[in-house]
Amino acid sequence: MANLELKNVHKSYGAVEVLKDINLSIRDGEFVVFVGPSGCGKSTLLRMIAGLEDITSGELRIDGALSNKLTPKQRNIAMVFQSYALYPQMTVAENMGFSLSLEKTPKAEISRKVMAAAEALKLEPLLERKPGQLSGGQRQRVAIGRAIVRSPRLFLLDEPLSNLDAALRSETRVEISELHQRLATTMIYVTHDQVEAMTMADRIVVLNGGRIEQVGSPMELYNNPASEFVASFIGSPKMNLISGGAARAFGAETVGIRPEHMIINVDDPTWQAKVTLVERLGHNTIVYARVPEIGLFTVSLDGQHDFDLGATVGLAPRVDRIHRFDAAGAPIGR
Amino acid sequence: MFARYLLLLVLTVIAVLMSAPSIMTVFTSLKPATELGDPAWFPPLAPTFEHYVRVWTEGGFGKYFGNTVLISAIDAVVMIFIASMAAYAMVFIDFPGKLLLKFVFLLGLMIPVTAIILPLYSTVRSFGLINSHLGVILADLALAVSVFVFMFTSYFVGIPKALHEAARIDGASEFQIYRRVVLPISAPVIVTTGLLEFMWSWNDLLLRLLLLPREDMRTLSVGLLNFQGTQTRDITALSAGTVIMAVPVVALFLIFQRHFVRGMTSGAVK
Repeated sequence: MANLELKNVHKSYGAVEVLKDINLSIRDGEFVVFVGPSGCGKSTLLRMIAGLEDITSGELRIDGALSNKLTPKQRNIAMVFQSYALYPQMTVAENMGFSLSLEKTPKAEISRKVMAAAEALKLEPLLERKPGQLSGGQRQRVAIGRAIVRSPRLFLLDEPLSNLDAALRSETRVEISELHQRLATTMIYVTHDQVEAMTMADRIVVLNGGRIEQVGSPMELYNNPASEFVASFIGSPKMNLISGGAARAFGAETVGIRPEHMIINVDDPTWQAKVTLVERLGHNTIVYARVPEIGLFTVSLDGQHDFDLGATVGLAPRVDRIHRFDAAGAPIGR
Repeated sequence: MFARYLLLLVLTVIAVLMSAPSIMTVFTSLKPATELGDPAWFPPLAPTFEHYVRVWTEGGFGKYFGNTVLISAIDAVVMIFIASMAAYAMVFIDFPGKLLLKFVFLLGLMIPVTAIILPLYSTVRSFGLINSHLGVILADLALAVSVFVFMFTSYFVGIPKALHEAARIDGASEFQIYRRVVLPISAPVIVTTGLLEFMWSWNDLLLRLLLLPREDMRTLSVGLLNFQGTQTRDITALSAGTVIMAVPVVALFLIFQRHFVRGMTSGAVK
């Protein structure tokens, strides 16, 4: 278990600055998710914490100790890679026990720890198999098993679910969350999938263009986004963003309205729109409707509803749930 | 169908042309003196191993064989280690002067042995290593290491970087990663390097002729010259000696051919 602190951390490759002035503090036992679009620097930040990338400037402190120059081993962290990175020539048991064998841990103890991790991850029947004989989901579990066998003070997970199919992804997501609750170890998880971030994190760190846009709990980010970027990135379906004259009518350069905060077929509509697509998901219905000269709106409705394609509907936002942003994308107080 | 038969015919002709010298050499080596007047492509009617025995004992091939095995085996094993370690550093470790080192290895690929044979001779002599197996082994390794560093490098770049990083996270030192993660998955290139270096060393004549002039230090390739005079040659002994020299290499290729082909083509297609 460990707490972690990043102070004024920068990272550049030659003249290209990929991370700028990162300040972040992660508490002991916390599950923190780094989220952001491709190329925002989230994986680089994780790799700097792991010790796989040098820190150009700034301080990394693990449990208060300056750790910039420590090797990955000295940091006592474990990492799960996107590609799993299992050693192909070793069996599952050997993969999981590799780090312990390097520390010259007695064989009996290695085998006891591997068995304990295998039991927790339901890997016992696979212990003698090689990675090439496993499915993607099984490999992922072995990679997680390899990480937990060492009892590290910090877990780093780099997009661990991105190679799994949708069903397995949500299943493994739950397993990782359960694992975190059971181990109570600090975990840092990188993903570009905001659904993963929202469902798993204690706190989310949103990165964009090498900077931290906002740090907060999933609901803080959802309800009070600190920028237009965070507002548009967090939430599925995405927030409706309108700008220009329509936004200025609400006293802002850009106005954001969550799909569930749109009202359809009201007596006094703000906009008239044409229905272009209806997605029926059973528990809710998502309606896409185009307002001439403003753009496409997404409306999320509870329950099951029928709309004819091409029909004209009246739309209005719930005024108390509107997010207003200035020209720089910063929020204007509600 | 016709095209198929034509192809078969062409392949048969090529196969016969390729294998004829070897087959005739084996025939000659087994012929008693009475049959030596027959054409070379006649099989021996009363095969005999007398020439093999003569070559092995009187011809000194017993001793030469031992020398050759010793030099070639050490060459192959040491080459596997030094070339793989150099390639590991080139691929997985960042260090100053890496580019310069790459250039030096490239230079090694471009300079032919014959061009530097005299300076090489005087260098080996200045170390007092003429007539020593060590001198030949060191020269062999130095002359061929560039080729094998490139071969290992092209194989290692195909190994995912994440594997190296995972091992670092697991707490392995660079040497532990090299020995326990990278080498065990490099069998094809290890076998190819071992076989090629063994074969080059086994067949080399020039270096051995220059660096090992003493009779008891000779290798098989130099030994074959014993049966070749300026005016005459002992054709049966020459044939038997050739077969003795060829058998170990052929056997090794047969045993390892599957790995060898994989090693030669690895890195060609991602």
